[in-house]
Amino acid sequence: MGFREYRIGSIMFGVALATSMVVTVYMPGLDISNTTATATALEKQLTYGKVAGFDYGDPFLHGDDKPIKVILKKDPKTGAAIDETVAYVFKPGTSLPSGLVHDHINGAAIQALSVSLGKTDQVSVEAGGVYLVVKSVKNGVETPYIELASATRGWTIDATLKAADQEILAGAGKVMFIREGCWWCHTLLPEQTHDWQSFGRPPMLGDFNGESPTTFGSDRKAPDLLHVGSRNSSKEWMMMHFFNPRLVQPHSIMPRYDYLWGGVDKKGNNIDLAKWDEEFDAYREGSRVYPPEVPEYADNSEIRYLIDYVLDLK
Amino acid sequence: MIKYMFSKEEDIPGGTASIFFGFSCLMWFIVGTGIGSFNAAKLAFPDFFTHYYALQFGHMRQVHVHTVIFGWIVGAFAASALYIVPALGNTKLWSEKLGVWNCMAWNVGLMLALSTLWFGMTSGREYSDFMWPIDLYIAFCMVTPLFINIFMSILNRRTQGIYTTNWFFAGSFFMLIIVFLVGNAPEFFHLTGLNEAYMTWWFAHNVLGLLITPVAAAITYYIIPKVTGNPLYSHRVGHLHFWSIVVFYSTPAAHHLMSSPLPEWLKSFASVEGVLILVPAVAYVCNILLTMQGRWSMFVENIEIKYTITGVLLAIPLNMQGGFQQTRAINWYVHGTGWIVAHAHLALLGFSTFAEAAAVYYGMQTMLRRKLYSLSLANFHFWMLLIGFSLYWVSMTIAGLIQGAGKIYEVPYLDIVIAEHPYMIVRWLGGTMVFLGNIVWLYNMYMTVKKGEKLEHGVLPHEVAYVR
Amino acid sequence: MSKFLPLLDGLKLSHPLKTMSDDRKVQEAQYIWEHESLGGIAENNNPLPRPVVGLLILTFITAIAWTFPLFGQRPNAAIYADYITLMHSAPVQQVMNDKTLTTSARDEKAMKMIVGALADSDSPYEFQRIQHPISMNDLRIMEPGIIELQNQHADLREYSIIGNDVALANFEGNWKTDANGNFLKGPDGKKVRERLQPWWDKGYMTSVYYFFGFCFLVIITVKRLPPITWKPDHSIAH
Repeated sequence: MGFREYRIGSIMFGVALATSMVVTVYMPGLDISNTTATATALEKQLTYGKVAGFDYGDPFLHGDDKPIKVILKKDPKTGAAIDETVAYVFKPGTSLPSGLVHDHINGAAIQALSVSLGKTDQVSVEAGGVYLVVKSVKNGVETPYIELASATRGWTIDATLKAADQEILAGAGKVMFIREGCWWCHTLLPEQTHDWQSFGRPPMLGDFNGESPTTFGSDRKAPDLLHVGSRNSSKEWMMMHFFNPRLVQPHSIMPRYDYLWGGVDKKGNNIDLAKWDEEFDAYREGSRVYPPEVPEYADNSEIRYLIDYVLDLK
Repeated sequence: MIKYMFSKEEDIPGGTASIFFGFSCLMWFIVGTGIGSFNAAKLAFPDFFTHYYALQFGHMRQVHVHTVIFGWIVGAFAASALYIVPALGNTKLWSEKLGVWNCMAWNVGLMLALSTLWFGMTSGREYSDFMWPIDLYIAFCMVTPLFINIFMSILNRRTQGIYTTNWFFAGSFFMLIIVFLVGNAPEFFHLTGLNEAYMTWWFAHNVLGLLITPVAAAITYYIIPKVTGNPLYSHRVGHLHFWSIVVFYSTPAAHHLMSSPLPEWLKSFASVEGVLILVPAVAYVCNILLTMQGRWSMFVENIEIKYTITGVLLAIPLNMQGGFQQTRAINWYVHGTGWIVAHAHLALLGFSTFAEAAAVYYGMQTMLRRKLYSLSLANFHFWMLLIGFSLYWVSMTIAGLIQGAGKIYEVPYLDIVIAEHPYMIVRWLGGTMVFLGNIVWLYNMYMTVKKGEKLEHGVLPHEVAYVR
Repeated sequence: MSKFLPLLDGLKLSHPLKTMSDDRKVQEAQYIWEHESLGGIAENNNPLPRPVVGLLILTFITAIAWTFPLFGQRPNAAIYADYITLMHSAPVQQVMNDKTLTTSARDEKAMKMIVGALADSDSPYEFQRIQHPISMNDLRIMEPGIIELQNQHADLREYSIIGNDVALANFEGNWKTDANGNFLKGPDGKKVRERLQPWWDKGYMTSVYYFFGFCFLVIITVKRLPPITWKPDHSIAH
């Protein structure tokens, strides 16, 4: 390449950029795509559904088009008592996570078991279904796989929802987590090297297969939340903290999420925010002994989704 | 503007597109820094403007980031490129009309993009927060026309050579299109898991590394020789800079995820390449500062040189931080803290904003053929920007070191929040100074259009504007 | 191939560090350099100052030295194996069963004894132990995992301590060999890798190759220009 020889320069530019992309996109892509999913990854896929960000199914990020996680203590079909089981209910039309749509997401062994034992070749968006994460033990090696309980155990969607002890709307909650920008301050990534002592186990290589988006977060202005549900499982505390963080943590800089109540409490009464603030100010100034009561949220309110999600981060 | 959108190409005066872009980027800069100052106030005083869905920090933060990146920084790049590229080729812009349409598409698109983002329609991926239809719009309706205009102007040049600045303009906007399309692939094709996480940071890294840093540098490659009258110190060092940007800046994306479970080899590779970003940085800073030989008095006397050289000097700590903070040893301490926030502002508000401000000051005067309305106001703006930025940078760096110490020694998180509080207030003060300075700038520019002294033909603005 | 011919056009390799272009090519370049006006801007033909070249070499050495795969990794199980042995030793057990102290005081004292006992030992893990200090409770949690691995005669260095788990590490190292240097085969008949970071980390070597490729091409690009002794006359074009 001599002086002002742009044709060669352009070719070299192309070669340099292509080499760089091979090393930084293609090679890592191959490596990462070959990882085998862990049970955590399968559970996350079934909890969060297809995409927690913008998607056709939920363009305004209201938490639509998401599965329901339920906890069962009796068999939905027979009614017999069973060990506490987590099932994931996809109502008809709910989009499926990529691990159920594509064959290569979860790794060959898991895919083979899911198809042969779990009947996941019968999944369908139109019909919906009830899913489980099950472990198969062979030669002392545990392999998790997905089971379509509607096909293997005859659990229908209605029966499962009816038999459910508890419904956890963590899939819709993750949408709230993203839309409300929680991840601008709270990371979901305890760092590998040091802070697992306070924030818990850092994630493993296969913990993310099929999750979208991963929202690690990059700027930690607040505690890491990956295992927050294990540290603090109180729904009441979460409710107070979301309504006004200063209620439970006087020095917190977290924004108030009172608007996620949707203006009404559990009984459908309107929430008088101005009055609440007045009473809270009185409490802060010491002229009131107890802080005002935080209104309980409605079952279909956005704050319910968010609290379900946060408490589900185990 | 509407008038020129439907005029014939030959009826549009040269520089129109550049002037439109110049003023729109100025507006966006004020909006962006205003939101930034508002956000900082929320971090310092969390009960400030509470209860409102749209004014909540989590909705505003990304709007601030994208307003300054796409509205101000890339907008200012467009304004500068549309006058620098033709000037360096002794030719006219390939199509002023395309440029005017481009500016319209830019502002409309940005308004659409930012309002959807504001109301929560996000992909949930940092720096590629826009939902994918908007990403496609940005790639094809905002960046591609700009690239075509720049590229065709370079092809139609009337010099044999292409000057260093134009290598960067052509290369960077081309790479921006590629980076946009590849980096948003997880949204287009629904890629999931660690691939998605990695591609998010691949995009974020390369949007900075292959667009903002090199184009800001390209602008200084123009302003310094043009205004001082010195020839560029070295053509061959320019080669070293250009090629090492393409080769080294495009590779270390994984260093943003050093503590995630990505393959270890990828992290090692990214970390070495990350330090090697110092190669283009050293080459570039030397080339510019050595070009200043014999004209250092202009650093004090001339407003454009003052801005540009301040930017170049800020590039030194920027690259020193950037090269080393991503190594495992230091990343361990500073990852996820305010240190990184300070570093990001050093890159965007320090280095590149100062370079672009110079280009906008210079370009607007040249294109309008008018002398700047008030040099004192320009100096006032400079000091507001510099002091405001310094307050921000120093306070956030300290806050980051406190957070880092708290992280390593496992201090309860709330104690860190309490310790950081004074620095959050200083951060807000700094950000507000930048915002107020920009309002003064807009006024100064507006008055330049209205009342600025006309420049005679064949006279460059800096030759008359700043004679004391 | 013809597209690449200009790359070889006028190539001269007799003085590769001075110039790689022949005289005709150099003259052409000099003519263009002096006769064009790039919008009123000109370029000089200076080399990088010597100290800056030194700085760049230093940068490369620093990049290699500072990023050597040493810092900031997860602790591996091997560094705590001695802790567990010591935990079961008589003096430490005596402290841990000392009812006169509170539980936390007991734990602290016992851990201090363990760390103190290991401080003088000439262990390859000394650095990592300082980097990853633990409490007695952490040690209790990881104890069963490590003991189980020891019973299986696993190489503890291949296991990371991740939260409460002792898990196989995320590295791709050298192929495993037996004492005679033959490759070990896994159950599927394929060669098995050590889960240790080798001194030649894959990403690390990729970086080295990448860097030398870059140097090679930049040297060619720059040395095809007229020699640095020549100074262009910028008065011609203006």
